Amino acid sequence: MQLTHRSKPKVLNVKAALSLATCALLGVNPVAAQGEGQSTEPWSFDTAVLFYSEADRVSALEAMVSATKEFDDQHFLNLKLTLDTLTGASANGAVAQPHAQTFTRPSGQGQYQITPGDTPLDDTFKDTRVQINGQWTQPLGQHLTGSVGGHLSKEFDYLSLGFNANVGYDFNQKNTTATLGFSHFKDTFSPIGGIPKPFASMGIGDSNAPNWDGDFAATRLTDQDDKNTTDILVGLTQVINRRMVTQFNYSYSVVDGYQTDPFKILSVVDGQGISQDLVYESRPDKRTKHSVFAQTKYHFGDSILDLSYRYMWDDWQIKSHTLDSRLRIKLDGGYTIEPHVRLYSQTAAQFYQPFLHQGQLMASFASADYRIGAMDTYTLGLKMGMRLKDGNKLAVRLEYYSQRPKDSGFTQPGALAEQDLYPGVDAVILQMSYSF
Amino acid sequence: MTQRAFSLLKQSDGHSITFDAMASPCEVLIDSDDPLLASEVAQAVTQEVWRIEDKFSRYDPNSLCSQINHGDGQAISIDNETYLLLNFAQQCYELSDGLFDISSGVLGRVWQFDGSDKIPSAAQVVEVLVRVGWPRIDYDEQQIIMPKAMEIDFGGIGKEYAVDRAILSVAALTDEPVLVNLGGDLCASAPRHNGQPWQVGIEHPGLVDKPSMMVSLYRGALATSGDAKRFLLSQGKRYSHILNAKTGWPIEQAPASITVAAQHCVEAGVFATLAMLQGENAEDFLQAQQIKHWVIRHPSE
Repeated sequence: MQLTHRSKPKVLNVKAALSLATCALLGVNPVAAQGEGQSTEPWSFDTAVLFYSEADRVSALEAMVSATKEFDDQHFLNLKLTLDTLTGASANGAVAQPHAQTFTRPSGQGQYQITPGDTPLDDTFKDTRVQINGQWTQPLGQHLTGSVGGHLSKEFDYLSLGFNANVGYDFNQKNTTATLGFSHFKDTFSPIGGIPKPFASMGIGDSNAPNWDGDFAATRLTDQDDKNTTDILVGLTQVINRRMVTQFNYSYSVVDGYQTDPFKILSVVDGQGISQDLVYESRPDKRTKHSVFAQTKYHFGDSILDLSYRYMWDDWQIKSHTLDSRLRIKLDGGYTIEPHVRLYSQTAAQFYQPFLHQGQLMASFASADYRIGAMDTYTLGLKMGMRLKDGNKLAVRLEYYSQRPKDSGFTQPGALAEQDLYPGVDAVILQMSYSF
Repeated sequence: MTQRAFSLLKQSDGHSITFDAMASPCEVLIDSDDPLLASEVAQAVTQEVWRIEDKFSRYDPNSLCSQINHGDGQAISIDNETYLLLNFAQQCYELSDGLFDISSGVLGRVWQFDGSDKIPSAAQVVEVLVRVGWPRIDYDEQQIIMPKAMEIDFGGIGKEYAVDRAILSVAALTDEPVLVNLGGDLCASAPRHNGQPWQVGIEHPGLVDKPSMMVSLYRGALATSGDAKRFLLSQGKRYSHILNAKTGWPIEQAPASITVAAQHCVEAGVFATLAMLQGENAEDFLQAQQIKHWVIRHPSE
């Protein structure tokens, strides 16, 4: 009754046959066995393509590749490359008028016309940006984690260089983590056509005329300018119980340097609301921002609720509230579905005004840029994720974004009463991401 | 049925989950400090393991396995998972030349390995042996027909299968390293974050002079076959509890315990059992396979 010793060829078949039978049973792909003692992880990649489109305005296409590798002992290197292209039209700051308006392009070469009653949009927007980020994270001790990173972003007329350093300290049996972060960015802006003088009148004329180049140059200050941004962040992450984690952050940010938008102008109107002049905007060269942020993630059943709130205030007198909520619901078969609602509201900067009055005592700063005016925005979105058989992840996110600038209470004289000075912007965002 | 609950504990290097299933103490280690994730993993693993236990236990009168065994010659409909398990059992039968037979459980009616000297008579063995025979079981993707008085038992692969399924259900949740250990049959999804292997204690029930053996494992599975507490001793001869499904008699000179490492736990488990069935040639068999293994024999042999 003793089994006779099998011949080797037949025996060797057992291993291969059993491996195949196992893969058939578990529904997995046969893969080469990992060697013993091999502990290095391969690179893991996240990729995403995002499409953003505002109705009749700007559209953007962004592609991102992020690669992370874990070296021994929780040493991580992350490299990220982002490419964006932006095209379309953006409000130049001037008010709509009952008559057609002509504007000079930012380059000084050529003009564009706006039909009566339309919000003036500058359609010369076209930009391509390349962004590279690198981040190294490693333990610095039993309870301390450190991270340093670099940032480079280049557009045709913009260069941004940055550096950051963070430390995290775990205590209370790793139920509490305190974080301290620092970052510094230096941005250099060299817009086409140069940097306009604050409140200089936009010349409108024939760019082929012999005196045009001289007249245009007279409205310019310099070719380029820069700004420095320093951020400091302190944070606390607290595990409340096994279903709930909360996080609190405070951040302080100082921006020093050129913060005016060289492409934005203001209309100067008379008592009848008719535009008499167009002048370049001007903003302070210093801005100090504070923000507090609280986030709670709550896990119940197969779902995770992620709620966060941010309050930001700065010395330009902009105050904003952001409420963000996501609910990740896990479905059978590795699918997830995640509804997203975001509400945002901001007050206007002190120097925001939709237009200037002729003969008005000139303030030091003024901007009609709707982005620093009072507004409410909301975002509604849905993300669907799935985990593929090989463990890779695929997700699609579709969002609707609506920006509703608010009437800031400026009296709209004469013809301006008929115009919409606070037009809304609607956009859709479609993102596809794949992780492997 | 035992009460269905798990306990989740925070450890210095992650989280651990303990629970009972398949008559064994079970443990899951998660190399993550995230308590939400640990609780998600705990839910997923226990749900999957208990599901498999409820479906394939031959002791549970409500299980699909019991339904099949009480089929009495009638067709019982089965799902894809059961079909795949039956196919796997078919492969094991073929690879072992009929020694590994999931219909051999009825032999346990005459063989009780309780340490006594109660060896059944040849006639008693033959009486149950006629109820053993995998090829007489008819099945396809939709149904299975069990001949009268025959039974199947997924005990030889069920626990290892549950380990692999649990690892797959964890993989659908997270990439964090996780180790699932169901009563000594175990699998690790990935090396620990600190680059060190998982340290696993392998118990040798009944071998008092062999304390648990520590094994280092980066990833993959370990399964152990053999229980030195289950034997019969008659006229100085030790009968191991590993039965030859073709003869109905115990395999002679089977090792006390065999532990095998493989990529998946079912693979390791079947290998350990196949090696056991080789008796005195167990080590030769494993060496020829070039498979990592640990064999323990009784000192007297």
